[in-house]
Amino acid sequence: MRIKTISRSVDEFTRERSQDLQRVFHNFDPSLRPMEKAVEYQRALTAAKLEKIFARPFVGAMDGHRDGISCMAKNPNYLKGIFSASMDGDIRLWDIATRRTVCQFPGHQGAVRGLTVSTDGNVLVSCGIDSTVRLWNVPRPSLEDSDLSSEKSAEPSAVYVCKNALLAVDHQFEGELFATAGAQIDIWNHNRSQPVHSFKPGNDSVISVRFNPGEPDILAVSSNDRRMIIYDIRMSSAAREIRMQTKTNSIAWNPMEPMNFTGANEDGNCYSFDGRKNEEAKCVHKDHVSAVMDIDFSPTGREFVTGSYDRSVRIFPYNGGHSREIYHTKRMQRVFCVKYSSDATYVISGSDDTNLRLWKAKASEQLGVILPREQKKHEYNEAVKNRYKHLPEIKRIVRHRHLPKPIYKAIAESRAVNNAKKRKDDRRKASSAPGTIVTKPLRTRRIINEREVE
Amino acid sequence: MGGLKRKSSSSAKSVAKSKKKKKGPHLPNSILKVIADQKRPLNSDEEEEEDEIDSDDEHGGDLYEYEEGVPEEESRKNNRYDRHDNYDYELPDDFEDENVESEDDDFDGGNSENDDDDDDDRHTRMLQSLTGMPSAAFQGESKSKPVLFTEAYPEGEFNPTRDVLEGKNVLTEEDFLAPLEGKPGYHKTSKQIARMRKDTKHVVHAPLPKPQRERLERKAVIGLVDGEFSKWVHLVKKNREAPTVYFNQEVDLGYSTVGAIASEFQPRTEFEKKMASLLNDSEVSEAHRDDGARLLELNEVSMEDHIKKRDHIAKIRNLLFRHEAKSKRIKKIKSKTYHRLKNKDLKKSSLGALMDPEMAKEEAMRQEAKRVEERLTLKHRNTGKWAKRMVRLGLNAKYDATRAAIAEQLQMNANLSRKMHSMGDGSSSDESDDEEGLNDGSDEDTPSRLIAKAKEKTLKTMEDDEVPNAGLMSLPFMARAMKKKNEEANEEAKRALEEYEEWENSGGENSKKPVSVSGRRVFGATAKVEAPKESKKDSDNFYDNSDSDNDMAGVEDNDMEDVRDNASPARNTGTITETEKFDDAAGNQASKTTFDVAMFASGSWKKMTSCKNTESKKESKKTRAPISQSQDKKGSRDEESEDSESEAEEMVDGVLASASKETFEIPSQAELINRAFAGDDVLDEFEKDKEEVLNQEVPKPEKPVLLPGWGDWSNVQRKRGISKRMVMEHEAEEKERKQKLKTRKDARLKHVIISEKVDKRAEKLHTTTLPFPHTSKEAFEHSMRMPIGPEFNPSTVVSELNRPEVVKKTGVIIKPVKFEEVNPNDEVDDEHPRNHQKQRSKKKTGKRQGKVKSK
Repeated sequence: MRIKTISRSVDEFTRERSQDLQRVFHNFDPSLRPMEKAVEYQRALTAAKLEKIFARPFVGAMDGHRDGISCMAKNPNYLKGIFSASMDGDIRLWDIATRRTVCQFPGHQGAVRGLTVSTDGNVLVSCGIDSTVRLWNVPRPSLEDSDLSSEKSAEPSAVYVCKNALLAVDHQFEGELFATAGAQIDIWNHNRSQPVHSFKPGNDSVISVRFNPGEPDILAVSSNDRRMIIYDIRMSSAAREIRMQTKTNSIAWNPMEPMNFTGANEDGNCYSFDGRKNEEAKCVHKDHVSAVMDIDFSPTGREFVTGSYDRSVRIFPYNGGHSREIYHTKRMQRVFCVKYSSDATYVISGSDDTNLRLWKAKASEQLGVILPREQKKHEYNEAVKNRYKHLPEIKRIVRHRHLPKPIYKAIAESRAVNNAKKRKDDRRKASSAPGTIVTKPLRTRRIINEREVE
Repeated sequence: MGGLKRKSSSSAKSVAKSKKKKKGPHLPNSILKVIADQKRPLNSDEEEEEDEIDSDDEHGGDLYEYEEGVPEEESRKNNRYDRHDNYDYELPDDFEDENVESEDDDFDGGNSENDDDDDDDRHTRMLQSLTGMPSAAFQGESKSKPVLFTEAYPEGEFNPTRDVLEGKNVLTEEDFLAPLEGKPGYHKTSKQIARMRKDTKHVVHAPLPKPQRERLERKAVIGLVDGEFSKWVHLVKKNREAPTVYFNQEVDLGYSTVGAIASEFQPRTEFEKKMASLLNDSEVSEAHRDDGARLLELNEVSMEDHIKKRDHIAKIRNLLFRHEAKSKRIKKIKSKTYHRLKNKDLKKSSLGALMDPEMAKEEAMRQEAKRVEERLTLKHRNTGKWAKRMVRLGLNAKYDATRAAIAEQLQMNANLSRKMHSMGDGSSSDESDDEEGLNDGSDEDTPSRLIAKAKEKTLKTMEDDEVPNAGLMSLPFMARAMKKKNEEANEEAKRALEEYEEWENSGGENSKKPVSVSGRRVFGATAKVEAPKESKKDSDNFYDNSDSDNDMAGVEDNDMEDVRDNASPARNTGTITETEKFDDAAGNQASKTTFDVAMFASGSWKKMTSCKNTESKKESKKTRAPISQSQDKKGSRDEESEDSESEAEEMVDGVLASASKETFEIPSQAELINRAFAGDDVLDEFEKDKEEVLNQEVPKPEKPVLLPGWGDWSNVQRKRGISKRMVMEHEAEEKERKQKLKTRKDARLKHVIISEKVDKRAEKLHTTTLPFPHTSKEAFEHSMRMPIGPEFNPSTVVSELNRPEVVKKTGVIIKPVKFEEVNPNDEVDDEHPRNHQKQRSKKKTGKRQGKVKSK
């Protein structure tokens, strides 16, 4: 009789260090583990529930302003710094980690409407309805300062005066130029007191301007006459324009896809466009029940955050029609500005109640140092949840959100209205000759583009 | 009023005209004539000699919105002009009138070779390329369009014509040259002009009209911007298709080393400054750099310091040694009680150590007060109602918890009521007792003396141990604990002595007692009776001697254990003997049966067996074992088994036996089957089953009934009967049910049950629609096939299977995308098989399976 012995080499089973993991042999024969689907489904369910349990998105509020926050700017070079400006002309630099004001920038009379920081993080540009553009030197963050409780205040390094009130400002990415918007669009150089270039898109004022992060010479503006216009600052005229039924309050370029941008519209939707096509939106992001006031892309380009007049902040996937997340608190009023932090982990909102609020971008994310095994566990949970996300129970749990009553009611109401409209349309269509009534797709419905006269 | 002006009629003109013929109102010729007449005098002075009036074929293009062609016949009628031949020309059908304005700027009459040209644009372009001049330049001579003069005054230096103002019909070189013709120098000049015209390089074009210019510009910008955007397409596509995007690659964490952090350190506090001054001392650093001899010098320590240090170390070491020795000794002590008490003391002393001596004194006083109270009230002596009752009813013996509660109270009483200073007395009396016992033992034989000696020694050591005057140990509870410790040791010694004595005594008796197999368990039924008595005695003792110094808890615990130990073997032996009796009677049977038998032993034996038989008969087909059992039973009790039923069974056996023995006819298969399944009606059963299933899945509607309550007592309701509405509802429900039954899949299949019940639990595991990226159920299910968990996959692939779509790191700034050339033919790097994963993210398609049951 032959006897089979198990032979194992000592080397294979000896750990080099005592911290090394013991080698474990595992039989992956599926017939030995017949319940894998059931097991994973159950895990997905648990993961979904855990996610709900740990969803604590609100990190903290930063108060100090004496009037509603009108605009914010993040320091592209320094994670902890965020600038905010309020309607009374107050500009502050906050330290997000301690949630305290680090520095103040007094000088503006009247509301500050635009803030931006140069890419190297050294120059802060602000503009307001007092028709001035002010340039400030940003104080360098240092280790010693972090524990000082006293706030510093800074003097503007330059003040440029314009003829009209200014409503927005944005800095070129990795360049020397910045653009202000008001009655017209002015392109400025840091060192010159006169704009180097001007565009006048129309008779209405321009309300927002954003430089393309990938293509530094291209900028998009939106104006009060409901248009969004793309300019190349090397050329004297506009490239493309899109006219919609309602005005666009703010524009954000996708930092990872330079041709795409999204506009926050007054009708409560956001519209994503390809800069090469002005006939239709690539995606319509619906969920807000009131005008969307501000929008900012996550630096990963996969999500963007919006702040709305309906007192909520939402996070949308860049290609999804509905929001992934809604943030609200009882005390948060109309949200006028939102920013996604440069590491795509936090979201900051500034609202009418004079507070800045810091949120986690992923509500149930575990902050702090995560051990590798913890990390693996989180990843597995996420993957398994993602895998079974279509199953009704998991879908229900993942989608469930508690909404403030006014928003809940408004959603129900708008749903009823839309249903009624659709029903009516359907009936009209059914009772008229085929082809006579054409329903425009949602992506083009709100766009009015005059035909270019050739 | 103005008039119509006609400069020259060229072929192009004719083209336009023929076009015009097609549209516009047709004015009566007479009116046209009038207009032409009026116009003529005005224009005559400025017309060139070749100008001719053609009032018939031309009329106010500006006067009317559109112009009207002149019918051919009309023009023929007064065909005074040869050129009218040209009117025969017809436009091609596909000609598009795209630039009406071009009529204004036509070519000059000089280029008469172009008469047959049919395309204005082409002609203009050709002209332009030839002359290098904008088309407007040719308008002067070629102007064929009538212009309406609206000026009230004749034109002049201060009142230029509209043509002049519009830049049309301006003077050209020819105008100036014409008068010079034939004069000397004309040839030269004309040559020069011709050369100039050919020289296209130096021609400056007139700017285009603004809207047109803007349109062109916008086109250019759009092209430029689109081009800029389009160059990103590949990069974006690659990013989007990548299973995972990484944003944690270029991590700049700032300071990379401790040294880098330290280099920026600035001393701020005084201590830090002191340290810094020492560290940065040039002398020290120099000494370091040198051979180190200087370092020794700097490191000089004074003798005093050295001695001080040495003494200190010696002291500490000594203390440490003592502490170690003490703890070793304590650790050696095996008594559980000692350790328990020690721990308790430790807890207390940790409290007490925190307190100052005054507090300790206070604590001691409080303890004393409690003790006094206890002695006064005897609260815990089990003299309370509850305790008395428990004891009277014997509940304390029955329930462990009660017993424990009573014991606890007694313990508390003992603790509290013990005199503080009587402790010494008690222990001394114990000692004397022990010594007496020892003496007794020592008288008997040498081993006991040995033990006594050992005990003496232990007692001595115990006494030595006691340091009652030392701070902590002088506390009353500490003292008590020490006492207890002593007692414990005494007790143990005593027990050992007793054991020894027992052993000595039993030395002779061992042979007499055969029962003892394992220690105390060996008590017989007699011992069982004794045990409770003993315990009772003991408890009585407690009550009586509650003031005594015995450690009651210990004693009681032992006793209780004894009781328990005694009781259980007694019980066991009791039952065993009983069952054995039955065993004898019933022979060797399974234990289960014997217990049954035991239960019914007192009752009617026969009855029980009959019951058993009927039962076993019912189950006979399925269960073989019970039958054999009952048969065995019967066999063992032949005399008693005279019941008719058991007889009947035997009969069956007999018949079967005889059949197999006597007739060897092999019955047919069918017969065999019939016989084998003689009892059960399968069809009926199935029908019943099916009906049950149907009733369950399509429940029968409830029959309407009269409800007790209103109107019930008056007979009114009963007279009226059930209301029509209810009956109708019932009927409708019945109908509905029938309909449902009809539409079932198994409605026509007589021998099949197809369950249409939807399993709600299973429902949760299905999706109603196919998830988005998948086009077919198969593809989707395939994607879901492999699990992704660590239990089902080797660890090398698990992290890849579970990798999220975006990998980022908190605190790392993500920069916008940078342009890089991407080879569109490159495939997306597949090192991370997450894209399978991505596609895989789906569920099962909703398919509901019907259960098929057939018979």
